[in-house]
Amino acid sequence: MMFLKAPRRNLLGAQGVIGVGVLVAIVAIAAYGVALPDEAGRERVAEPYAPPRAGLPLGSDDLGRDLLDQLIVGAGTSLGLAFIVAVCTTLLAAIIGGAAGIGPRWLSVSLMRGADVLLILPELILYILAAAFLGQSFGIRAAILALILWPVPARVLRAGVLTAWSRGHLEVSRAMGAPAWWLLARHGTYLIGPLLIPVFVRTAKVAIIYDATLSFLGLGDPTSPSWGTTLYWVQTNGVFLSDAWLWWALPPGAAITLTVLSLALIGVAVEERLNPALREAAR
Amino acid sequence: MTLKVRDLTVRYGGLAAVSHVNLDIADGEILALVGESGCGKTSLARTLLGLLPSTSQVGGSAVLGEHELVGRTDWTGVRGTRVATVPQGAMTGLSPVHRVGAQLAEMLTLHGGTAQPADLLDRVGLQRTMLRSYPHELSGGQRQRVAIALALAGEPDLLVADEPTTGLDAITQRQVLALLAGLRTSMLIVSHDLTGLLPYADRVAIMYAGRLAEVRPARALSPASAHPYTAGLLSATPVADREVAWGSIPGSAPALGHVTPGCAFAARCPLAVDRCREETPPLVARGEAQVACHRHDEPDHPSYPNVPRVDSPSGSTVVSASGIRHTYRARSRVVDALRDVDLEIGAGEIVGLVGESGSGKSTLARILLGLIKPTAGRVTLEGRELTAGRALRRLRRRIGFVHQDPYDSLHPGMRVAALVAEPLAVAGVPRGERLGRVRESLTAAGLPDDSGFLARFPGQLSGGQRQRVSIARALAGSPALLIADEATSMLDVSTRAGIATTLRSLAVERGLAVLLVTHDLGEAVQSCDRILVLQAGRVVEHGPADDLARSPSHAYTTRLLQAST
Amino acid sequence: MTAVQAVRRGYPRYIAGRLAEYLSVLLVALTLNFALPRALPGGPLKLFGSPEALARLTADERAQIATQYGFGRPLPQQFLDYLTGVFTLDLGTSLSDGRPVTQALADALPWTLLLVGTSTAVTAVLGVTLGVAGALRRRRGKGSGLLGAAVVADSVPQFWLGMLLIVLFGVKLQLLPTYGVAGPEGVTVGGVLQHLVLPVTTLTVTGMGYLFLYTRSSLLTVLTSEPVQHAHARGVPYGRLVRRHALRPALLPVHTILMLEIGFLAAGAIVVETVFAYPGLGRLTFDAITARDYPLMQGAFLVLTVMVVLMNALADATYPLLDPRARTGDRR
Repeated sequence: MMFLKAPRRNLLGAQGVIGVGVLVAIVAIAAYGVALPDEAGRERVAEPYAPPRAGLPLGSDDLGRDLLDQLIVGAGTSLGLAFIVAVCTTLLAAIIGGAAGIGPRWLSVSLMRGADVLLILPELILYILAAAFLGQSFGIRAAILALILWPVPARVLRAGVLTAWSRGHLEVSRAMGAPAWWLLARHGTYLIGPLLIPVFVRTAKVAIIYDATLSFLGLGDPTSPSWGTTLYWVQTNGVFLSDAWLWWALPPGAAITLTVLSLALIGVAVEERLNPALREAAR
Repeated sequence: MTLKVRDLTVRYGGLAAVSHVNLDIADGEILALVGESGCGKTSLARTLLGLLPSTSQVGGSAVLGEHELVGRTDWTGVRGTRVATVPQGAMTGLSPVHRVGAQLAEMLTLHGGTAQPADLLDRVGLQRTMLRSYPHELSGGQRQRVAIALALAGEPDLLVADEPTTGLDAITQRQVLALLAGLRTSMLIVSHDLTGLLPYADRVAIMYAGRLAEVRPARALSPASAHPYTAGLLSATPVADREVAWGSIPGSAPALGHVTPGCAFAARCPLAVDRCREETPPLVARGEAQVACHRHDEPDHPSYPNVPRVDSPSGSTVVSASGIRHTYRARSRVVDALRDVDLEIGAGEIVGLVGESGSGKSTLARILLGLIKPTAGRVTLEGRELTAGRALRRLRRRIGFVHQDPYDSLHPGMRVAALVAEPLAVAGVPRGERLGRVRESLTAAGLPDDSGFLARFPGQLSGGQRQRVSIARALAGSPALLIADEATSMLDVSTRAGIATTLRSLAVERGLAVLLVTHDLGEAVQSCDRILVLQAGRVVEHGPADDLARSPSHAYTTRLLQAST
Repeated sequence: MTAVQAVRRGYPRYIAGRLAEYLSVLLVALTLNFALPRALPGGPLKLFGSPEALARLTADERAQIATQYGFGRPLPQQFLDYLTGVFTLDLGTSLSDGRPVTQALADALPWTLLLVGTSTAVTAVLGVTLGVAGALRRRRGKGSGLLGAAVVADSVPQFWLGMLLIVLFGVKLQLLPTYGVAGPEGVTVGGVLQHLVLPVTTLTVTGMGYLFLYTRSSLLTVLTSEPVQHAHARGVPYGRLVRRHALRPALLPVHTILMLEIGFLAAGAIVVETVFAYPGLGRLTFDAITARDYPLMQGAFLVLTVMVVLMNALADATYPLLDPRARTGDRR
């Protein structure tokens, strides 16, 4: 009965657990990739276009580089970027959404107008444009993505902050003279925290896809192997016209799909538990 | 006979929400089904409409004309046609994207009604031009009338109205009830407001913990002849007359599935004897009425604790607000929420702030709390002005706030001890001193202070207990002023006077200044020393509670008084 | 105020408000397009050739180009010149083949419009229909196969899906053309349609997932909302309840998502046109990136952005027809 249980939050269902499991596996692979020597996937180790064989499970590319090494090193690049972008974007969105939610009216209006304007501009096109002109190093790419991706989460978080601000226990706490840090630590985390998870997950997901797309268009960092770059060489060499697509084109694409899918599963699982209508229908 | 309910039982996961109810509604009769939250009245109403969730099990029978309603799977030709509903919260229940006319036309086509949409609007007292309106263009009362018109479209034999006036102002509530009563359709009105329904109902059925306690013609209902619970409900409704006492029933209604032998009300009943705790009383005929009580034939009358009448002399001024004006911008319009309001409360005094929704009473409360900065005017607390920043925060610690919604105002993840200690933590009181003051506040708010209770979460408390925890929290910081914003409006009727009693004793014993914000003039007259009546941001009347109730000087106060008696 | 008056009074105001917003979007797009090349590491000169070519330039030659193109002048003056250029359809000359950029864009634009337009229509219809089906199945407690498929489709990168489709339908089954817009027989209606199938499938499959998820969630929310629950209580049969009472309110927020979707599909066109060697703006962009042909790149981005903004504006203008509350300005 409702009277006997303390509030408990089970944010992940079966789907979510699968998502977390897959993600943990990929993170482990990425960690292994970081431990590999620097030249892994970057140096010639075999003849060009080598098919898979013992010691070279996925063959080599047109420059004789180990495709498996590229796959493993690419995991680190992809996840690292996604993580940093997700952290930055969520922070940025929380600050902007929070300011728009509780700040003075003029600030709220101008921030949300700004968000609306950016919302209409297509994210990926902006990303490609900015990266083409500003450069493709890891830091620049992460910064551009964070600057492009904040509007949607900022809108979500603003709505969340507005709802939270009108909640009784927060208002009572304000009325008793609690300072801002107390409101945030004691009440804000409880009310807004669950909203940050889907925002974080969605941003990480989008960052992975967008960055892979950028690399695929040949705008990736040429010095570091990544899944998108591998597929760029697949495209420019017309690999999928031969049987090499099996070991050259399939694995990096599957890796992207699997990573994004694991994040999506976590996101769907969390959202289904946060949206009362979906929860209701689940019974 | 329109409706015959026999031995109706509704269970959720094996727990009975409605047990063995027998009830009839005659042709053209209006039956009021009254009870507090969780008593099973809504489950009963939803059974008649086939709207129970699929997790429920229903037994017994409910026959409407030639249709058996229990266990029915195909509701075409019955729902909307034979039995129609004015649902709970109907104000937000109209389709937002269709015009009123189209919604009426849909009902008429679906249920084979012969009337014209315009005729339906006539019947519920709306202008025909509203056919072309969208719901968002209508007021709450108008939307409620449209909902009634929609229910009438299928010319039903029985109308089931579930809390049809929730969310409406007192005056509009009367109008809507009068409209329903004037339709002369067989009707089941479900409500928690016994006295509000009495003038409009033919018969009243009182429900407690899933069973009928009493069924009686409305005109024959009086505290002297009624079931102890009914008598308690009658005395628990505040009347805007200080001669009439305002009482509360101690304790709270049992939770669903909390089964005890004997009468479910025995634990709270002042007349209960051993037999009541062992044997469940059957509903038996007593003259025109049916009553389920072992002690009904005995001369004792139940007596409930009343709100004390104390003429407390008011001490020095604690809070003073002068020339308060507040305007805000909504789209392109400028709205005056408050215009030149003055207010003073002395130590030990309870002042009532009465007004309907939109009158500005909540805005004024929030200005006194320092949560909103007024456009003009000044507020001083114990001689110091409420300004901004750190000074304001420090001053706020002298004010206790009891929020309207006991379910929202307690952080669900904090235990009672932490909840009550929050003002102490905020004010930087050393940890060692907190527990003692928490215990003291809990006791003052009428709550247990044992460590078991201190370790509970809000989810484990009843609504009344939650609101008392809220009061204890407000007291913990030893405030000079307590502001209670509609503190009883979401509580069960039977427990409201208990809260008022607690506030009174705090004012007397601690010299606390109390501002009681309420929409219910009756409650204010019963529990306050002085009353301010607020209409559209202006104080239209101000005076001692007794005088104001006896001889109101403003027409608006008179209308509020009429609506609350 | 009656509804009719409200519409008369509200609609122009609504349109005017939105128009102002879109104009500011265009201004932002133009500013970005102007500013980004000037923030280029190595200076705007890089716009005029590959790094190797630039390295061969003498200092005098650099100065000459700078004067000719006005890089030495104050920024506001440069911005004004740039705007003048845009509005007189003068976007400079392509570095790779010497054609006017406007000409190259004009040749490519129709193909992209065809691709993005078709994909938007197919995505909208399929995404919304399946989303509704998914919600109704969920209501009846059925399995979530559709949901799983949508989540997967939402996770696949477009370029990879395009490659797989080429391998499957082009190389293995040899069913459909995978390259360009026309076979050896020249441009024919049938040929163009055949060449459209795989690119549109790629865009639709990847674009549909999010629309599906959103529609499904929105309809499930609306089905438990008070107006629908009340209509159910009034005896409205289930089919009619869904069609007449739930669908329209549920699709209102979807309409907004569809506008985001247009941007997604336009960006997807860059990728998909690259994979399928489709001669539209996207392929042009890719070629420009590969050749570091900055004026062409800039022009292609500008046209793509303007296209998205205009399609958005068009979709937005229809919103009040769906939601009467927007006509009186009560939205938000």
